[in-house]
Amino acid sequence: MRFVDEFRDATLGRVLAGEILAAVEPGRHLKIMEVCGGHTHSIYKYGVDDLLPANVELVHGPGCPVCVIPMGRVDDGIAIAREPGVILTCFGDMMRVPGSDGTLLEAKADGADVRMVYSPLDALRIAKAHPDREVVFFAIGFETTAPSTALTLKRAKAEGVANFSCFCNHVTIVPPLRALLDSPDLRLDGFIGPGHVSTVVGARPFEFIPADYGKPVVVSGFEPVDILQSVLMILRQLQDGRCQVENQYGRVVPYEGNLRALEVMAEVFALRPHFEWRGLGFISHSGLRLSDAYADLDAERRFAVPGVRVADPKACQCGEVLKGVIKPYECKVFGSACTPERPIGTCMVSSEGACAAYYNYGRFAREREVV
Amino acid sequence: MSCDDPHHCITCGDDGVPMCVLAVDEARGLALCEAADGAHGSVEIALVAPPVAPGDVLLVHAGTALTRLDGAPA
Repeated sequence: MRFVDEFRDATLGRVLAGEILAAVEPGRHLKIMEVCGGHTHSIYKYGVDDLLPANVELVHGPGCPVCVIPMGRVDDGIAIAREPGVILTCFGDMMRVPGSDGTLLEAKADGADVRMVYSPLDALRIAKAHPDREVVFFAIGFETTAPSTALTLKRAKAEGVANFSCFCNHVTIVPPLRALLDSPDLRLDGFIGPGHVSTVVGARPFEFIPADYGKPVVVSGFEPVDILQSVLMILRQLQDGRCQVENQYGRVVPYEGNLRALEVMAEVFALRPHFEWRGLGFISHSGLRLSDAYADLDAERRFAVPGVRVADPKACQCGEVLKGVIKPYECKVFGSACTPERPIGTCMVSSEGACAAYYNYGRFAREREVV
Repeated sequence: MSCDDPHHCITCGDDGVPMCVLAVDEARGLALCEAADGAHGSVEIALVAPPVAPGDVLLVHAGTALTRLDGAPA
């Protein structure tokens, strides 16, 4: 397919790998964080890291929305699903995320009406088909998914679908990046910026990274050639002593973002004062709630939710994995007590979680010689 | 494409899917689109600059087109 095949070209990939090898400074160990779970998945699916010199290390960031949702919010979702007459709709991966007392899938097995949808629009269709039931959409995701939820809420309001509401867990990408950069236990040399989040917010919001922290950022596409080219662009910046935001994904990402999407998000959502992130704790202004104009569609106002903070299981090291402090295979329970079939931590649930990506593509350990 | 597929899921992470427009329902703000694997779906087109026409390739995330792929070089 156009826009896909040319970015999986093996010959071009090998040429880029050669240029990366030539551009890297021997003896200097570089850590580059790919912020987005989609990149993590592509890197292991296509073996991109095997084409990199050993002293260029890819560190996996917090950009998988399923992975960063705290257990307490899962519990809140399950509590809503157990309300009489409720149909709770959510994305597929969300059904397998463990709360303190099981998953949404287990709640479904116990009799709660939990249904998987592919888009918020599907949830609205269910609401229209069941006017005698309360239909709640469990919304998660970064700025990529938030416009989709916002458009559906606008549609629900315009069409007067009174039995539809949204349990909003949308998050924003910039505050956790700032929290990571302020973290004393993490040293990074550059960032592969999130491609599709940038389709909405643009590349401009990442300018604080070079300006305030002196690190290069390259917004990248998701195909293997995209990622290799982005690594090369970061190395070239380091080589030249430059530090700026560059856009490798120009075929999709406008530097200013999608103004229509930003407008609809501004209308439907408002920033929460703070939101809890798994492994990262509470981060100011990092989560979205429904704005006052859409308060009547807010499931948190329509239903009683426990709102209890739940600590992560002690054995689980998702927090360190999400901050890039340890590799997934360095977690005590990786591949033994925690597997995609029976996950303990969120990073093992989503296909884009770092642990699941390592597990599914056989990366149980990694040792390479430094160039 | 399915969320049970361990290799790809449109609903999590930051993953958009290129889809080709087959037909447009301007009144409802929706387009019938086809993905590379042949899957069809209704897509919200309110965020893409009009006019959206059959043959356009859209980047679709969770049922909403975020942008039109116009072939600009990477």
